[in-house]
Amino acid sequence: MKRYSLLLGATALALAPAAAMAERGSSGHLNIIYWQAPSTLNPYLSGGTKEVESASLILESMARFDETGMMVPWLAESIPTVDNGGVSADLTSITWTIADGVTWSDGSALTSADFVFTWTYCTHPEGGCAQAGNFDGVTSVDAVDARTVRVNFAESTPFPYTAFVGYESPVIQAAQFAECLGARAPECTDANFGPIGTGPFKVDEFRPNDVIELSANPNFRFPDRPYFATVTFKGGGDATSAARSVCETGEFDYAWNLQMDPTILAGMAAQGRCAIEVSFGTSVERIHLNQTNPDPALGDARATVEGGPHPFLTDPIVGQALSMAIDRPLLTEIGYGAGGQPTCNVLPAPALYASTANDACLVQDIPGAIALLDGAGIVDSNGDGIREYNGVPMRVLFQTSTNAVRQDAQALIKQWWEEIGVETELRNIDASVFFGGDPASPDTFQKFYADIEMYTNNFAGVDPQAYMASWLCGDMPRPQSQWQGNNTHRFCDPAYDALVAEMVRTADLNERGRLAREMNDMLVRYSIIPLIHRAGVSARAATLEGHRMSEWDSELWNIMDWRRTQ
Amino acid sequence: MLTYTIRRLILAIPTLLFISFVIFLIVKLSPSDPTAGLPLTIPPEVREQIRESLGVNDPVFVQYFKWLKLMAWDEPLHFIEGTTGWQVAPDGPRIISYQTRSPVMDLIAQRMPQTLWVVGTSYILGILIALPLGIISAYKQYSVFDQVGTFISMVGFSVPTFFTGVLFIVIFAVNLGWFPSVYNTTHVVTDWDSFVVQLKQIMMPVMVLGLYNASQISRYLRASMLDNLNQDYVRTARAKGLTEKIVVLVHVLKNSMIPVVTVIALNVPAVFGGAIITEQVFKVNGIGQLLIIAIQSGDVPVVQTVSFIFAVLIVLFSLIADILYGVLDPRIRYD
Amino acid sequence: MFDTSGAKKLVEVRDLTMHFPIRTGLLRRLTGSVKAVDGVSFDIYEGETLGLVGESGCGKSSCGRAILRLYDPTAGSIRLEGEEIAHAPFDKLRRLRPKMQMVFQDPQASLNPRMTVAGIIGEPLMEHTKLNAAKRLERIYELMDAVGLNREFANRYPHEFSGGQRQRIGIARALALNPKFIVCDEPIAALDVSIQAQVVNLLEELQDRLGLTYLFISHDLSMVRHIADRVAVMYLGRVVELAPRDALFADPMHPYTTALLSAVPEPDPASHDDAERIILQGDVPSPANPPKGCNFCTRCPRVMEICRQIDPVIREIAPGRHVACHLYAEDTHKTAAHAAQPTEV
Repeated sequence: MKRYSLLLGATALALAPAAAMAERGSSGHLNIIYWQAPSTLNPYLSGGTKEVESASLILESMARFDETGMMVPWLAESIPTVDNGGVSADLTSITWTIADGVTWSDGSALTSADFVFTWTYCTHPEGGCAQAGNFDGVTSVDAVDARTVRVNFAESTPFPYTAFVGYESPVIQAAQFAECLGARAPECTDANFGPIGTGPFKVDEFRPNDVIELSANPNFRFPDRPYFATVTFKGGGDATSAARSVCETGEFDYAWNLQMDPTILAGMAAQGRCAIEVSFGTSVERIHLNQTNPDPALGDARATVEGGPHPFLTDPIVGQALSMAIDRPLLTEIGYGAGGQPTCNVLPAPALYASTANDACLVQDIPGAIALLDGAGIVDSNGDGIREYNGVPMRVLFQTSTNAVRQDAQALIKQWWEEIGVETELRNIDASVFFGGDPASPDTFQKFYADIEMYTNNFAGVDPQAYMASWLCGDMPRPQSQWQGNNTHRFCDPAYDALVAEMVRTADLNERGRLAREMNDMLVRYSIIPLIHRAGVSARAATLEGHRMSEWDSELWNIMDWRRTQ
Repeated sequence: MLTYTIRRLILAIPTLLFISFVIFLIVKLSPSDPTAGLPLTIPPEVREQIRESLGVNDPVFVQYFKWLKLMAWDEPLHFIEGTTGWQVAPDGPRIISYQTRSPVMDLIAQRMPQTLWVVGTSYILGILIALPLGIISAYKQYSVFDQVGTFISMVGFSVPTFFTGVLFIVIFAVNLGWFPSVYNTTHVVTDWDSFVVQLKQIMMPVMVLGLYNASQISRYLRASMLDNLNQDYVRTARAKGLTEKIVVLVHVLKNSMIPVVTVIALNVPAVFGGAIITEQVFKVNGIGQLLIIAIQSGDVPVVQTVSFIFAVLIVLFSLIADILYGVLDPRIRYD
Repeated sequence: MFDTSGAKKLVEVRDLTMHFPIRTGLLRRLTGSVKAVDGVSFDIYEGETLGLVGESGCGKSSCGRAILRLYDPTAGSIRLEGEEIAHAPFDKLRRLRPKMQMVFQDPQASLNPRMTVAGIIGEPLMEHTKLNAAKRLERIYELMDAVGLNREFANRYPHEFSGGQRQRIGIARALALNPKFIVCDEPIAALDVSIQAQVVNLLEELQDRLGLTYLFISHDLSMVRHIADRVAVMYLGRVVELAPRDALFADPMHPYTTALLSAVPEPDPASHDDAERIILQGDVPSPANPPKGCNFCTRCPRVMEICRQIDPVIREIAPGRHVACHLYAEDTHKTAAHAAQPTEV
């Protein structure tokens, strides 16, 4: 079977850049700055990117995703597939074999018991494990023998590469965390701050929310790597100062997640001390059109199915006109520079899943939008400059989180929409509230007490199945679900639900791609208006090489190959 | 004086209890969520589990009394055990940070030295600059020196530290390359060379804060000196045939320092507050930076505890200021 | 009555001028000056008490301070035992300080609140003598005895004393270096009436015992009448009349003196009722902008045309009696002037 051939890469060894003469520690010291400082090194206790990425220097998983989204065997000998018998024919279990000779940094051998323990640790009901989502559907993890681990799923799972794959569910040492199960997890401060791992580096000192000092793991399975002997992983500050410390003062070699004014970053890079790295994952800045009515007059039924549909945003003509009025390239240029590309898809990657059916939206067409609305009889009948839809004036409340780039975009979009006769009122909400998910707060993105909202979302890993299932009718945030749920704009289409169900049953990759594209197209016509495909933006010192930035895994996934140019 | 101090300390207890409760309520009622900073890819039910495990969902009063008991009893015992080695600390929970899942007091203990270093040296530097500046400015009122000094201190006083901080970085770190822009918090001073490195990296935050402190104190000192310079007792001192040096530095300065010293003492907590921004700008891992990060990530226990420590500092230093006033000014007696 | 004939001049003041600059505007440009003391000349004889009287703001305190060089005079000359003070360099001045001292008006403000009594009295000793600590303490006790302060209070702070006691400290401090000349700048104005007499008596007693010379500045005419040998009257920066005490009180010559004296309550109520009080019209002109001619011409009840034109110079018109008034000009009949006085003595 060739089903997974697209995702499977060669082994890590073969992919490593030729490093003639280089040996462990020969590149000396590496300085990394993350402007958000890691709070802990136990990725299971904090789902934050900063913690998970910093922990990826120490903790590893069976397989990782390279910069193209392809899976690379890491602790495993090879990627299990149905072809090689690693995945059962009924798709309910996957069997991993640990590569030969892998040891923890304390010298003890990595065994299948560690994987079983990791699963127990994260699924403990009192533990509050942040990565529990990666073990969804897993009924048990068995240690077949010392080097063989079998993950059993409750039902047929066409994409079983969730548990122990990628940077979010690495293996932790059973011996170290044995006493830290469940409610006792926070008491193990030493273990949480200094986990023993199999990775290229080990922790020498961890200062929460500040700095990590690491040195090369003496028991690392590749005798010549990592090339750097020591690493300082500094946290804190802001994106601009992090960029400055790499590109202007040269104090650091690598800066992560430089969400800042693209012109300033380009100016810094022009000095030649650093290179800007971008990599596109699945993050898309998008606009959601509320399909339910957020009218405050509805009281408790506000923004729920019971409150009835939105007076005009459920009409695809309206959504199409709103989408046509937007100049995506301009928004990209102003807010993201090299860190973004205009997109018309809510599912922009991997390439297999990216639809090309909607690319017309990349060009702004205000006259077209006006003609479209006029043609549909949605006109301004009382001469106040605002169109009426069945007598309802088209006034919208447009909300997003507080963030300079988003407020710039909001202002531009408001202007374009007013040109086509839609009055727009803008609102921004502090990010911690907007994304906070507090069911008591009226300002969360899930409650959606507005007509239109804008934010970025993405999915982890390379398989979009769970992501596309976000827009099931049943996944709407509503009072009964404590306002939890992924289908924030209350999209509901039985045909869509049927496609989701079909995808769960389908294992053939090309067929899965077709289904995903079809679902994407249903969404973007026109209840979601995708705007910008966002990239991770990082800066590396010009003297640093071997860096391959992956958006599908930790940016530091191949740090063992990083080295200083001669 | 002793009874006065004891009485004030006893009175401070209800004050601090009240403050702690207000801080607790404000922090608790503000819309923040410890899971808000997590990526959206983490599903809601996992978030709910995390919140449950953090105890966020307990009733507010239960949380407050838990926190108060730990703050007032368990944590001091842990502190005693940590410093003396006596086995007095109770087993059981401590105040745990949501973000790091480690005891808040350990975080504070880890960060206190940097804050004390930066705040302490900047305060001393500020005073050292302010003394001559204030004295000469007042003694030669309206002279060129006074005008320039007034201008500089007005600038130092009114330009916020986050601006001067970034300005300093751009000038001294980026353009001149004299000092590092990022504070290396793991640097250990072992010999002369490493001391120079420490001096270099502490220079910019200290200068930024020191400039601000110097501006403030020199203004107070100048005003106080001017008050005293026109007093009769200064004339008496001159009539005694004392040299100007003694008249100004002994008679005038000693009396002028009474209000200034109390201002200096009262301002110590404010300087800790001012250091919040500076620490953030220069990435010094101090208490202030801890507070900012905690606020950003909804880490309620850290915010509460650090705010409460600031409150204790304020109460304590206003008491110290009052006592100093009594010590310095023989006209004040508290008994 | 102190006899000036044959007495030695201790202090000679000539054309003493003390102008304070006025600076205004953004650039604090010099736009004028307050003429606090404007050409004052007088002598003080050894052992006498010269009273200096006048309304508040007339420049008498500035005059006293300028004489001791607590202000730098604008012009003029001050000699103490023939040595020039007005423009003496700092070191020379410091040497002269022990000879001349001052007792201030406000005993509270003039004592450093952070020094003990012993510190205050002892500091000049430390500065100007080579006494060791024990000797110095002995001298401090001596001085405290001299002014009637309990020795046990030596280590107390000024605020722990009453006003009268504080003034005694101030006097003890002034006496510490055995001065010859003491300027008493309203030394009793801030004290209760009952204490005033005690302090004045102390000053007199010390004068007798130590042979001191006083310049006694006061606005209280009855107190001046009690203590002074000769009296100088100041108006708006000038001395308008200078005369032996009895002569002045009996027969004031300058219209301003006359008006001033008429305001003094008489000890005998009967005569007080009879006395005709002269109420001066108008306000004292600003010393920054004194009138043309005689300074008093704006308020003088006997103003003449010449007063508005020419500033009268102070002249000795009878032995020991100096007056600055056109009424006593050489071409005017002295008798006529006397006849014009409202009250005949």
